[in-house]
Formats: sequence, C-alpha cells, structure tokens
Amino acid sequence: MALQQFAPIAALIILAVVLTFIISNISTIFGPSNNTSRKTAPYESGMQPIGVGMRRMPVKFYLIGVLFILFDIEVIFFLPWAVVFRDLGFYGLAVMGLFFFILTIGLIYEWKKGALEWE
Amino acid sequence: MIDVPSIADLNLTVTFPAVFLALFTMVVLIVDLFIPKDRKIRTAHLTLGGLVVAFVWNVLVFDSNQTALGGMYIADSFSGFINFIALTAAIITCFLSVDYLKRTGIEQGEFYSLLLFSTAGVMFMGAASDLIVVFIALEILSIPLYVMAAMRYRDAKSEESGLKYFILGAFASAFFLYGAALVYGATGTTSLPEIFASVEGIVATDSGARLYLVLGAALIFVGLGFKVAVVPFHMWTPDVYEGAPTPVTAFMSVAAKAGGFAALLRLMVIALPELTANIGDTIAIWQTTIAIVAAATMILGNFVAIVQTNVKRMLAYSSIAHAGYILMGVAAVGTIGVAEEATRAALIYMLAYTFTNLGAFAVVMALEKDDGSGTQIADFKGLSRSRPLLAVMMAFFMLSLTGVPTTAGFIGKFLLFGAALEAGLVLLTIIGVLTSVVSAYYYVRIIVNMYLEDGEGDPAEGATQYLNYATYAAFAGTLIIGLFPFLAVNLLDTMMIAGLF
Amino acid sequence: MTFNELSWEALAFGAFTILTLGGALGVVFNRNLVRGAVWLVVSLFGVAGFFVLLSAPFLAAVQVLVYIGAIGILFTFAVMLTRSMTNLSERFNKQAWLSALAAVTLFLLILLAVIAPIFGEIAAPSSEVVATTEDLGVALVSGDKFVLPFEVASLLLTAAMIGAIVIAREED
Repeated sequence: MALQQFAPIAALIILAVVLTFIISNISTIFGPSNNTSRKTAPYESGMQPIGVGMRRMPVKFYLIGVLFILFDIEVIFFLPWAVVFRDLGFYGLAVMGLFFFILTIGLIYEWKKGALEWE
Repeated sequence: MIDVPSIADLNLTVTFPAVFLALFTMVVLIVDLFIPKDRKIRTAHLTLGGLVVAFVWNVLVFDSNQTALGGMYIADSFSGFINFIALTAAIITCFLSVDYLKRTGIEQGEFYSLLLFSTAGVMFMGAASDLIVVFIALEILSIPLYVMAAMRYRDAKSEESGLKYFILGAFASAFFLYGAALVYGATGTTSLPEIFASVEGIVATDSGARLYLVLGAALIFVGLGFKVAVVPFHMWTPDVYEGAPTPVTAFMSVAAKAGGFAALLRLMVIALPELTANIGDTIAIWQTTIAIVAAATMILGNFVAIVQTNVKRMLAYSSIAHAGYILMGVAAVGTIGVAEEATRAALIYMLAYTFTNLGAFAVVMALEKDDGSGTQIADFKGLSRSRPLLAVMMAFFMLSLTGVPTTAGFIGKFLLFGAALEAGLVLLTIIGVLTSVVSAYYYVRIIVNMYLEDGEGDPAEGATQYLNYATYAAFAGTLIIGLFPFLAVNLLDTMMIAGLF
Repeated sequence: MTFNELSWEALAFGAFTILTLGGALGVVFNRNLVRGAVWLVVSLFGVAGFFVLLSAPFLAAVQVLVYIGAIGILFTFAVMLTRSMTNLSERFNKQAWLSALAAVTLFLLILLAVIAPIFGEIAAPSSEVVATTEDLGVALVSGDKFVLPFEVASLLLTAAMIGAIVIAREED
C-alpha cells in the first residue's frame, strides 16, 4: 500500500492541528492582557454564572448518543456497499434494501415512541 | 464481478423458521405501536401466533439436512431440535408473561418483541456454521435479555440484575470474539467445516498455529461458558436470576443455555473434534479441561443450592448444576466415535430441562406476590392443602430435576451418563450420579414443605388462566418425555450434523 | 520499496505509537474524566493510523467514524451524566494495584503467546491479495459469503435500538 496516497489526509490533519493551535493562542500572545475577575468568567450572555461549570446532564443525551452509534454503524455498512453498488446491480440493491428496511422499522418505532422528541 | 445467486441457490425454504421469526419481530414491533396500552394482550396473541407458525414450519423442514445462504446456515435435525427447544420455551414464556407483567405493573409491548428477538437469536445460533454468525446470533440472544432483566425498573434489584448481566455478558462476548479471532488467525477461515478441514494439518505439523487454535478454542469456551453459567464463570447467575422478572428468569434459564450449548456443541462436533494432542489419538485435547469444568460445575451448583432460602436463587444454582450435566455431554463429544450419541443425549437433556424448569418457574410465579416477594422456600409450606394440583405438579417438576424415573429429567440423565461412560469418562459419571443424589436434598425439601410442613398454604393468587396453561403445557411435556422417551429420541434418530455422521 | 518510503512509514509508525500510548497514558493519569475522554479520542486516532499502515484503510475509516465519532461522544456523555465523577480528587482508586497487576499480567500473556512466536521474522504477507473496500462490499452481499451475517446485523442493531429506548425512556 503506497503511503503517498494518504499524504493529502496527513497534510489536512497537520494543517488542522497547527491552525487550531495558532488561532486559539494568537490573541493571548499578541493581544493586550488586562484580566479582571469579570473578564475571565465564562460568557453567559450577560448573566451572572451560578454554580459549578460541569452540571449533570439529562439522561436523554445518553439515549441520543446510543442511537447515534447505531445509525453510525449502519452508515459504516453502507460504505463498502456504496463503492461497488453499480456492479452489484439489482441483487445488491435488494440485499441492502432488506438491511435498510429492518433499520427503518427501528426508526419508525423510535419516532412513534417519541425518542426523537426533546420536549 | 459478482455471481448473482438465484433464490434457489440461497435455499431460503429451510431457513424459514428462524428468518420468519426474525421478520415477524418487526411486525410485532410496529403493530404494538398501534395497540392501546390496556390491550397489550393482543400483542401477546400476535406473538403467540407467530411463534406457532414458526413452530409448524420447523416441523415441516425438520429433517431437511441442507445448508442455505452459502453454507452459513445449516438446517439439519440438530438445528431443528434447537429450534424446537427455543420455540417451546418462547411459547411457554409468552403464556407465563401475560398476566404476570400486568399484575406487577411492567406490561409493555416491547417485552414481546424482545422475547422474539432473543428466540430468533437462539435459532440462528443453533443453525450457524460460521463463527461470525455465531457471534451476531449470540448478541441478538443476549441484548434483549439484558433489557428484559432490567424491565422492572422501579425495583433496584431488577436494575442490578440487568446491569450485572450486561457487564458480564459484554465481557463474555469480548472473550468469544478474541477466541474467534485467534481461531481465524490459526486456520484462515471462520467457517466451521473449513476449520475442521484445516485442523488435521495443524495438529500434524505442530506449528505455532496449534497454540493459537487451542488458545482460541479456550477463549471461545470461556465466552460461551459465561452464557451458560458454568463454574468458574457462574458468579452472575444467582443475582441476575433473583432480580430479573420471573418470566424473564425462566426464559433466560432455558433459552440462553440452549443457545450457548448449541454453539458449543456445533463448534466442538463440527470444527474441533480432531484437535488431538498427537495425530491418531482418539481423545480431543480439550476433553480433560471440559470434564474438569463440568465436574466443578456439578459439585458447586448442587452444594451451594442446598443452603439457599429463596427459590429463585435455588433454581439459579440448580441451573448451574444442570449446565454441568450438559457440559458432561460436551466433554463426551471429545472421544472420537461417541460424538453422535453424546450430542443426542445433551440435546434431549436440554429439552427435558426446558419443560421441567419452565414448569418449576411457573409454579414459583403462581406464588409470587405483585411486589416480587413470596419466593422463599418457606412460602411453599402447606401448598398441598391450598392448591393440591399445583403442589402435585411442582412435586413432579422437582422430581424431574432430580432425575427420578418416569420423569423427563431421568431420561436426560440416563442418556447423558450412558454417553459419558461410553466416552470413558468414568470418574465424571460417578461425580454426576453422586451430585444428583445431593441435589435430591434440596429438591425434595420443597416437596416436604408442600406436603409435610404445617402451614396455611399460599392461596397462589398468581395462578391465573394463562399461567395455568403454561404450567399444564410444561407438565405435559415433562410427563410425555418421561413416559415415552422414544418420541424425543426418534426426532434425533437419523441425526445428521453437517454430514459428519 | 525504496528506503525513502520505508522511512516515511517508520516515521508515521512512530508518530502513531506516540499518539496511541500517550493518549492511553493521558486517560489513566488524568484526574478530570472529561479530559480523560478526550485523551481516549487521541489514543483511538493513533489506532486508526495503525490501520492505515496495515493496509486496512476501511478499518481506519471505521475507527474514525464509529470510535472517535460515536463512542468518543458516548463516553463524554456518560462521564457528564454522573456529576460526582467529573472532578476526582484522588488520582487512583483503591483497586489501582489490583488492576495494575491484571493489566501487566494480560500484557505479559499477550507478549508471550501472541507476539513472541512471530517476533523477529519479517514474513511476507501471507496472501498477495490485499482485500480492498470493494472486495468487502462484494463479500457483504454475495450469496456464498456474508449475506446472512449482514442481514442479521441489521436485526441486532434494531434490537439494540429498542433496548436502549426501553431502558432509557421516561417513566410513563
């Protein structure tokens, strides 16, 4: 496997890391620093921040996370199929169709149960 | 680039019991969304209908002895028999659940979908001839059980049960996966018949591949051993069995065992029977290990069961002990030439255990109160006076678990001990007989409580219509196998496992 | 293979090793579990790099999408769901020695059983055919390959979905 193939990805990753580092630190390095306690406090749209920064999150987030994983794995199954689906023809479509159908039923269930609603 | 297989190539007809049930799960899932909350009994009826269709279909294709879906699925009498066990367990569990879920306030339509998923998992496990299918089926079998165990969510014990089962089950799955990866590394294939084909070469050349193969088989055994609860991988069993809603415990105790042992037997019989220390040996290298584990399981399960005061816990330890007996059959498979007899014995033992244990749990549920109490052994005092019929059936189930003649349990033990003797495992057989005698102590204690102890006698208000159907069905099954064992044995008479026999 | 290419590979291997091990150490030594979760992502990214070096770019993509994308998020959520766990005053809990012992034992076992037998040999790849993503796509749907596990996997995902909803639903 020629490693050169991945050179653009490597370049992108390096660029992303370096750029992020620069952007997030450039103002600290070059900007004037005149810290007061008000200025270092987290920005809360003008409100006084109350309590600790890390609050317990509602369990709904976890459900969203789990559902995200499941659909992510579904996407992963699509990936190798998608690169050859022209060669697989109707048969390939039918096999993937069944796979997709079963997961769609899961989605309908989820929808009807209100797991996607936030309230 | 790809040969499009015709429908005939896929050979879907023989896979239909499992495939139909899997797709039917989707139907139940969707239909249940439109059934109002107070009419969930319709979901139960629908589920039962699907199970019965799968059951009938299974009878039709029982002896087809074909492979399907490119050799991934074997439809022989082995998988037919496992389907039989799984569907029987699911049908009886369905009857057990209807009223119980309602009166304990945990009735949800998803329960039935999850039950069907789990059943389909057992069926795919029994029919799988590829480690990948075994793994996915194992997960389909397990994940619904984790959820069902935690379904009584107001009760901390039930949540603990689900959590414990989930964490240890995930751990076991990881072991299984690691083992499967090592087997794949050693043989270059995940297909069980192909693994069988390459074992001989690996044993002959004594390469590093042999080490991987043995390690892989050991890890797979650990993974499946967790699922079927053999010593030393049994620690989760009592807590999980006690905390889970009782119909779930009942189903778990038979279905998870059937699935786990089906995969174990398939692996040992099809893939690894010739994994011997030297070429030409007649005893597989793994036999001694499994025999030791079986002995430890029988001893520990039976002795610890004696001191239990809660019936659900007692039946949990009893189920560990019974896993030991079935494991004895797996060990006997390791002697070349005994495999067929031992496999048959193990399967019939599982069927007998399925009927008996479901029946025993049905009676426990009849006594159980809505808040989950009333499952102490002392609660059985005087049951023969308040509910004579229930007491008779419970006594019969207890005798069957002990292995007294005319019961199903006796037939199972008779065949198993015979196979073990045939395989030359004399010491193991002696341990099996002796621990059976020990087990009589705690099984008979329930009978003594029901008949000889003073007491008001529990009114057994849980014995509702549907529960009674389940109890009668389990009783009939136990009695019929006990009196006419040939009915079950003949099912496996021309046993064909992947054409090996 | 030219020396130049080899050295690039060695360089990449070194970088990914630092990411993997460094990230793992970050997880173990960090007091703040949210930061630990981020370190875990770093470690997982290093593993994705190893997959690239092992000529398994699809697995690298899976690693990034599923592990870094989904499981990383789930870890962060799980940590933030439990308030008391976000700021630990102790670096190790009471069972640190036990788990250290278990980890070292497992490491030695893997070293002895898996790595020692193949150490030193630079064996040629056992097969000339490198499985590509295209091959995988064909294998997933072929009637004589993995069509059954593929379809059954969708059942498994659906079962897990139902399970998650049943467990995490609001009391109604």
